[in-house]
Amino acid sequence: MVSAALTSPLRVGIVSWAHVHAPGLAASIASLPHARLSGIHDEDAERGRAAAGERGVPWYAELPALFERSDAVVIASTNARRRAYVEAAAAAGLHVLTEKPLATTLADGRAMVEVCRTAGVQLGSAFPVRSSAAMQSLREAIRSGSIGEVRAARGTNPGQYPRSWFGDPREAGGGAVMDHVVHLADALRWLLDDEIQTVYAELGSLMHDLEVEDCGIATLGFRRGVFASIDCSWSRPQTYPTWGGVTLHVVADRATVDVDVFRQTLTHFDDQRSRVRSVAWGEDLTKLMVGDFVDAVREGCPVPISGEDGLRALEVAIASYRSAELGRTVRIAEL
Amino acid sequence: MGTRIGVIGAGFAGTTHARACRDIEGAQVVAVAAATRAEAAPLASECDARVVDSAAELAAAPDVDLVVVASPTYLHAEHAVAAARSGKHVFCEKPLARTLEQGQAIVEACESAGVALAVGHVVRFFPEYRRAHDLIHAGAIGRPAVATLTRGSFSVAAVRPWYGDDAKSGGVLLDLMVHDLDTLRWWFGEPTRVHARRVAAGGLDYALATIRFGEGLIAHVEASWAEHAGFRTGFEVCGDAGMLVHDSRASAPLVVQAPDGGSGPAVMPATAAHESPYGTQMRDLIGRLGRGESPRVGGREGLATLSLAFAVDESVRRGEPVTWSAPP
Repeated sequence: MVSAALTSPLRVGIVSWAHVHAPGLAASIASLPHARLSGIHDEDAERGRAAAGERGVPWYAELPALFERSDAVVIASTNARRRAYVEAAAAAGLHVLTEKPLATTLADGRAMVEVCRTAGVQLGSAFPVRSSAAMQSLREAIRSGSIGEVRAARGTNPGQYPRSWFGDPREAGGGAVMDHVVHLADALRWLLDDEIQTVYAELGSLMHDLEVEDCGIATLGFRRGVFASIDCSWSRPQTYPTWGGVTLHVVADRATVDVDVFRQTLTHFDDQRSRVRSVAWGEDLTKLMVGDFVDAVREGCPVPISGEDGLRALEVAIASYRSAELGRTVRIAEL
Repeated sequence: MGTRIGVIGAGFAGTTHARACRDIEGAQVVAVAAATRAEAAPLASECDARVVDSAAELAAAPDVDLVVVASPTYLHAEHAVAAARSGKHVFCEKPLARTLEQGQAIVEACESAGVALAVGHVVRFFPEYRRAHDLIHAGAIGRPAVATLTRGSFSVAAVRPWYGDDAKSGGVLLDLMVHDLDTLRWWFGEPTRVHARRVAAGGLDYALATIRFGEGLIAHVEASWAEHAGFRTGFEVCGDAGMLVHDSRASAPLVVQAPDGGSGPAVMPATAAHESPYGTQMRDLIGRLGRGESPRVGGREGLATLSLAFAVDESVRRGEPVTWSAPP
């Protein structure tokens, strides 16, 4: 499934401009020394053409035209449309990086992993939390044994309600759980080098008058006995100084560790706009994540965060819905 | 005549409550009992009180009006019931008791003796929690939707071994999480469903609970005896029109550093307010007793919170959610 090393920059196209992360992904590609933004395709022609024009890159009305001029694509579509795009890219022999969650159903997610495997292309999942230097330090501490055995963790990934299609069950497949449970579910698997076995979740549509849940606390159980909770709620008010955040409180035998991934901010008291904002000055995690994907593809190595990783995180989201529906703990194995 | 107070227990809680009585006009600690006379002596001396041989003797002392039960949790029932039977008002440190049956026995003993029973859910007297309560009830954040309450300290079991014995203390659930369970009931009313996980191993004790209020508010509670940097509390309450956030580490008005690595008491007295919440709690109780009013946090309240803590414990043991309703 891994191709030979490239010597020229990797040509990376963006498929769909629906996702709020699309501009950040485009900027990351454009800024990398070994990658080039080869063009944009979008199901919304007007939106896609504008995005391409602003960046001085070609707009492609038809996918094959973009595929012809690309070595890899980033899929920044709505959650429900990702499978079709991944299948098209795999059929064209392109490597793929997808936004999260991988898909809206396990059937779609499994099919996406399978089609890429069969086509011999790489499928990567966009989990930038793994690129945080603080998270990587924590992982090193866990792996070296310096903090002892991890026993439990409390994670938070709350945010403002992202609006757009994120609250539409047909395009998003769910609400806050689909949007936010997956990041920390993936980070915890990676930190602990362990798999999630059980999920219990309390969910509610309590804040924004949506068809989907906007509040949720999921509690995960790992094979080796660690438990961890994730607050995935769209609970940050409009007046909150930033979009939200990602934190993890880890309790281990020899240390208790707090990670706040997006803590590196300036506080901007802005009289001109009558607001207080947090302005991030920390490293650009999206750029680091895309860079790792590009490097792996160019060198012909397995991408660091795979489609299977995306599928494992999606399983936690689906299990959260099942748990809330059944009112009990759900085992991943029963999905 | 003022309120004459007898204190049973001279550990963290007994010392704190005895000191809280010092600045209350009309209140006086007159007797202290502990497991041994030697343990009771320093606190008695500090309070100008006499040392009494045993809890039973203190409970029966004719010159005591109010008995502060601050013994280890598993002894609360024995001491509180003895005090009630001698016709004393009872202030019982939280949790009310080690078991629901013991808690029930305390409540019934006080009711049948016609004495007041106050339970030391002191968080209801912490100004940041009172302010949050008032704001939430005034609609400042709209309808509450999701809330997280956290509380942690270093391992108290390392300092006082009985805390590490679940049979005596109930561990981090009964000793620490019980504060935030009580706060949830005070702020939001009675929950309906509880799910929890806990790890108690190798000297640490840590638990997470998710508490549901019908189809509404989702609350998450963290209790930790693995906060090696020291005691801290925090909460965030998110509603459909706003959010309240508290972090004790971000609200200390006085921080002292010294070159020898020591801080606080050695250099300056640590004071965050003129009256501690423990002082407010005791002043409130003594005022109410004087006016013949019921305690702010009475036995039935303490029993309901204890019952909720046991629902958390049951969920931990069963690995499944537990439905809960307040005891009648």
